[in-house]
Amino acid sequence: MSAHVFCRRATSRLTLITAVACAVAFPTTAAAQQKPPAAVRPVPAPRAQTSIRGFGDISVTRFAAADTFEATLGSSTGVFFGGGVEVVLPQRFFFNVRLSRFQKTGERVFVDGDDVFPLGIDLKVGITPVEVTGGYRFQPRGRTRNVIPFVGGGIGWHKYSETSDFAQAGDNVEETFTGYHALGGVEFRMSRWFGVSGEAQWTTIGDALGSEVSSASEVSGESNLGGLGLRVRFVIGR
Amino acid sequence: MSIRRRARAHSAALIAVALWFATVAAQDVLPQAERRSASPLATRAIDGGLRSGASPMRAVHKATDLHTRRMPANARYLRGSVIVKFRDGTSAARRADLVSLVAGRSMPSLPYAAFDLVALDPADDPEAVASRLAAQPDVAYAQARYRARPLYRPNDPLYGLQWNFASLEMERAWDINPGSSPSVTVAVVDSGVAYVNTSLRFVQFNARSIEGSVFPALGTVDIPFAAAPDLGAADRFVSPYDFIWDDPQPLDMHGHGTHVAGTIGQATNNSLGVAGIAFNVKLMPIKVIDGFWDEYFESPFFGTDDTVARGVRYAADNGAKVINLSIGREGPPAPVVRSALEYAVSRGAFIAVAGGNEFLDGNPTPRFAEFAQQISGMVSVGAVGPDRQRAAYSNTGPYLELVAPGGDFTRNGVSGLILQQTYDFDFTDTFLNGTGGFRPPRFDVFAYLYAEGTSMATAHVSGLAALLYQQGITKPSAIEAVMKRSATDLGPEGRDDQYGHGLINARAALRGLGIAR
Repeated sequence: MSAHVFCRRATSRLTLITAVACAVAFPTTAAAQQKPPAAVRPVPAPRAQTSIRGFGDISVTRFAAADTFEATLGSSTGVFFGGGVEVVLPQRFFFNVRLSRFQKTGERVFVDGDDVFPLGIDLKVGITPVEVTGGYRFQPRGRTRNVIPFVGGGIGWHKYSETSDFAQAGDNVEETFTGYHALGGVEFRMSRWFGVSGEAQWTTIGDALGSEVSSASEVSGESNLGGLGLRVRFVIGR
Repeated sequence: MSIRRRARAHSAALIAVALWFATVAAQDVLPQAERRSASPLATRAIDGGLRSGASPMRAVHKATDLHTRRMPANARYLRGSVIVKFRDGTSAARRADLVSLVAGRSMPSLPYAAFDLVALDPADDPEAVASRLAAQPDVAYAQARYRARPLYRPNDPLYGLQWNFASLEMERAWDINPGSSPSVTVAVVDSGVAYVNTSLRFVQFNARSIEGSVFPALGTVDIPFAAAPDLGAADRFVSPYDFIWDDPQPLDMHGHGTHVAGTIGQATNNSLGVAGIAFNVKLMPIKVIDGFWDEYFESPFFGTDDTVARGVRYAADNGAKVINLSIGREGPPAPVVRSALEYAVSRGAFIAVAGGNEFLDGNPTPRFAEFAQQISGMVSVGAVGPDRQRAAYSNTGPYLELVAPGGDFTRNGVSGLILQQTYDFDFTDTFLNGTGGFRPPRFDVFAYLYAEGTSMATAHVSGLAALLYQQGITKPSAIEAVMKRSATDLGPEGRDDQYGHGLINARAALRGLGIAR
């Protein structure tokens, strides 16, 4: 018996405490309840907390060395596939680490002025950037609370490989260059656990190309391995 | 006479020099000359073997590879299958699992194969599949089926004496482009080429005075000609023309053009004699230079500027993509030749011209080579020896653009010259024998002779140009540009008057440019 009674009493106390707390914490809400008809009841903003998210992405980059890539690979743009992990802090700062990969086979050429002569010798190029980015996600406002702009910047280590047929010792390239990047974009929260972002990233990797006399980049006077990329990123996590 | 015989012993080394003494003279009257076929089936070549001046020697260098076919450049490995080596003890069921892991299927086992082949979807990347398989604990190794390619080394027995090709990295260049192709025609605008078996009847009833010496009349003589055995089959020669005798039979009565043609396109990997650079091209023999016998038998034309100009225009109009001009002269400018050269380049022909052999004679400006610096698509060529030093005779000047192996007897002896097949001069240069030994020549006896000169150097550039053309660089100015860009810089850094942009490098030129290297 006593247990039952005790229980009822305890519930009554909890209800009372909660009501008081609500009245203190949300006085306007409490007041509004007295004014019919009520407007759409806002959802309380979730409590900010650190979140860890994973993402995969695809980006199209227009290389800074556009003439060089156009001549050898047939296009001045390249498609990178990547992915990584991102940490978003309560203060809206974020950090992420991203690994991506670009690979394409073209052919060696000779460039004379505006003329490009493909030589039929396979040229296989790979770029594997590992990038660390830090940035800030802006506070969503009003009805666009599911649209989150962000900006950031960081450093990257770009492993560049270039192999070709008939290469002898020292002809192929496998080198890692340090680059820097800045980016900005918008993330669309599709659900609590899934978002899609569109972003643009400018990357500079200076003095990576253009130093060898046997390079099209030297002919074109292009030394930067970076470029401007447009990326779609699929985010899993809050 | 003994002096003359000694000179003849070194005649090979003097071929190019002698050419420069074939000075150009205006012709006012066309003499009545007679040259007609005596028998089209008359002769076959006699190969006199190697002549190396004072110490004749024969060398036999057997080749290690006999491959001539070019591997497709875009086929580094086969698609549609990979090589897998399962570890010992891996069960058949496990092997099947691993094969299915990569959506493959086992291929029939092959004899002498201690490994398996797994068939794949051709769309799959064999390298990626091999990586996946290699990561499995039951797989010892897995790899794509990379295609091996020949490391070209011609089997021509005297090839080992051709230091000139090694200095250009020709073997590795031939890996990339083995000898160009018959779609490319190289015109040898020179003293003619020994390209056909025939016999011609000449008539000379008068004693002739040539360069201060008087030679007796030979009367009516049938002179045998033969195709140089090492130049290849008759179908290699296209659109021949003789501007000295004004007929379509540019028979070499000098030997210079045949030697030059050999360096450009001597048949190679044929177990015979020596190698040439662009051994698959078509050769267009064009005769614009007269030798002693042309003059003796009173050819209607001489090797004058106008004859040279006509020959160059003829080459361009008849499809030559490369024109070799191992000729030149001193004296006043030659606008008629310049005009022809510009015309030829405008028709898409690349031109290589000798830079001159008169450095020791005052280093006069060679009149044809001087145009090279103004005509994009035409290159003037100096000579270096095996030590990569400028040959003592090789002219210098602002017009010099590249150097190539031309030989240098003074520093390197006979073996430092350029070896090719041409006539055995014992049978052609009877005018060196004095009156008693003067007799009709025979142009059907051949020998492998060493010669030096910017003529020989120029032939290397023409051969390389033919390879580059077939590789895809079809614009004369671009051929010039790639040769200069890929040249090995010699002498003072950058372009200089002794070596131009440097020594041509066939491999580097053919390999072209990558993105970073």
